[in-house]
Amino acid sequence: VAAPDLLDPKSAAHNSKPRLSFSTKPVVLNTPEDECDTRTTVMRWKTVSAIFFLVVLYLIIGATVFKALEQPHESSQKLAILAQKLEFLAMHDCVNSSELEDLVKQVVSAVRAGVNPSGNSSNQTSLWDLSSSFFFAGTVITTIGFGNISPHTEGGRIFCIIYALLGIPLFGILLAGVGDQLGTIFGKGIARVEKMIKWKVSQTKIRVISTLLFILFGCLIFVALPVVIFQQIEGWSTLESIYFVVITLTTIGFGDFVAGEKESLNYLDYYKPGVWFWILVGLAYFAAVLSMIGDWFRVISKKTKEEVGEFRAHAAEWTANVSAEFKETRRRLSVDIYDKFQRAASIKRKLSSELGINASINQEMTPGKRTLSANLYEDREAYPSLSLNGSLYLNGLSPDYADRREIAVIENLK
Amino acid sequence: MNSVGKSWLLLTGLIVFYIIYLLFGALVFSTIERPVEEQLRRDMDALKQEFLNQSCVSAASLENFLVRVLTANKYGVSALRNSSVTSNWDLASSMFFANTLVTTVGYGHTTPLSDTGKVFSIVYALIGVPFTMLVLTACVQRIMYPLVIAPVCLLQRSGLEPRPATVVHFLLLLVLVVLCFFLMPAAVFSAVEVSWSFLDGLYFSFISLCTIGLGDFVPGMQPRQKYRPLYQVAVMVYLFVGLMMMYLLLRTFHKMSDLHGLTSFLQLPRCEDSDMEEEREPIVHEDSRTANNMTEKAASKPLDPGSQPSYNTINKG
Repeated sequence: VAAPDLLDPKSAAHNSKPRLSFSTKPVVLNTPEDECDTRTTVMRWKTVSAIFFLVVLYLIIGATVFKALEQPHESSQKLAILAQKLEFLAMHDCVNSSELEDLVKQVVSAVRAGVNPSGNSSNQTSLWDLSSSFFFAGTVITTIGFGNISPHTEGGRIFCIIYALLGIPLFGILLAGVGDQLGTIFGKGIARVEKMIKWKVSQTKIRVISTLLFILFGCLIFVALPVVIFQQIEGWSTLESIYFVVITLTTIGFGDFVAGEKESLNYLDYYKPGVWFWILVGLAYFAAVLSMIGDWFRVISKKTKEEVGEFRAHAAEWTANVSAEFKETRRRLSVDIYDKFQRAASIKRKLSSELGINASINQEMTPGKRTLSANLYEDREAYPSLSLNGSLYLNGLSPDYADRREIAVIENLK
Repeated sequence: MNSVGKSWLLLTGLIVFYIIYLLFGALVFSTIERPVEEQLRRDMDALKQEFLNQSCVSAASLENFLVRVLTANKYGVSALRNSSVTSNWDLASSMFFANTLVTTVGYGHTTPLSDTGKVFSIVYALIGVPFTMLVLTACVQRIMYPLVIAPVCLLQRSGLEPRPATVVHFLLLLVLVVLCFFLMPAAVFSAVEVSWSFLDGLYFSFISLCTIGLGDFVPGMQPRQKYRPLYQVAVMVYLFVGLMMMYLLLRTFHKMSDLHGLTSFLQLPRCEDSDMEEEREPIVHEDSRTANNMTEKAASKPLDPGSQPSYNTINKG
């Protein structure tokens, strides 16, 4: 919002010249329609639809690339498993294909229910013991939703819906609070750094550099360190660990890789709670970074708009002032001319009354000469017209002609 | 400082409450699901035993076979006979996958198998997720005016106070969204998908629109689905629009709680545009604002030199 005092011409008038009165806001920066919208963050329909089109394009590009990358791999996997099936059938004659189909179907649906039919079932840990359920509840609330465990009973599903309805806003509020605290700490740190730096570096530079450092530091703690840890403990490759970290921290959560779900490993007791804590703080951290960047963009664009607005206000003010000055000058000059004519006319009256000049001489003159002779000769009929309407239309001449002569007189006076 | 101490206290209280909430959820899930899991496990054991008894297959080779089948299944490749026709990575399915990636739903019914696919997923997600959030926020801010501000003005003009007007409007919007984006799609899904009940459809809609995306239900995965590409594109559009409506609901709720002083009580960040007085004015002081507009319009034309007819009509200061 531009400073209102700059827009007030009364305060900008430094001299005692009589000001032309006009209203306090000569130029309104925004049209009234813009006031309904918010600031720079609202785009017009055209922009929004252009961006929407961009998103669709982005999706199509992604789709083609994924298709090109994955489809060959998928076909080879398909062929491999079919070959396996045929080999199995060939090796074991007493099994017919329909029985095998049946078994496979059952096995697959069991896996979908979360039960792993391979291996001995007695020493398998349940998927729904307390720590795993805790982990599942965490994935639901953070909206990651891995899906390696999911409720299969109707009651479980209904409870899941209600639980998420209450839990997601709760987690959102928590995230906002933690992000706010992190942002405040970071802001105070930046302020201290700004005070400490003795050189004359611009504020924006300091902010940008410290944000970059903050992001780097965060990436180190929340991305690089977990990647190394997962590599060691879960036995994934580097790429798979990075993939898991990114997919989890963006809350996508496919579930093809899940930390702490490998049955063959004996995890330490605090491994799973540690993973959950990492998810919470990592999410809060990246949310804080995003909101901070968003805040800066908003401040920068607001400042830019303010500056542009102030500049526009200054320019309009200057233009209005200049034209007002010009009009004022014209007015005063014309008032001067009128006064001078009046004085000249009164002198002429006196002179003519003293000298007794013949009024008939005036009729032979051209209108232009007539006008000029009004300075010297008396024309009694002209006075009423002059004093009646108070205008400068001398001797009842047409306004245009009078203007041109007036301008000529003014220029002569200059 | 008191406010700083208060905010830290609030935060710790919130974290403690969050942990308790998680524990509570864990207990309930555990008690509900565990017996069913036990039963299924016992059934599986019986099935395997029965199969082994009938045939000449040894336990070891069966295990081997099962492990291979399950690994393939984890990546979405089914060993069943009739599933060899459709691919999981044709154009429509890939687009569906890209959409689940970018909206952070992440079902996981198909996941990238190759290493290059994983690398591309990482890069695609890192760019696409903030981009989608930006687009959704922009769209929501754009439709905020016709869907939220204008109806609230309407309600106020018909005599309600500002605060109850926002509450009434929010409830109306909530009912509308639940009807159109949860109940109706649930009915459609339970009709189109063969094995889904109405509750399954509702569960799917909810889990998808909250971007949890567990992946136990994914539409269009039945083997003999008719018009599969069209169906998947339709589901994609539904997800996107539904997500936008959820954001709208959230934003409306945020503004409403700002108005009622809830966010300042919890010391949370306010809705970004609520510190801009001009946005508040349409809701609260609609008539005075239009009056201001008129006077501003009259004053808005800059004085141009040609507008005055003669010198003397200009005021002498």
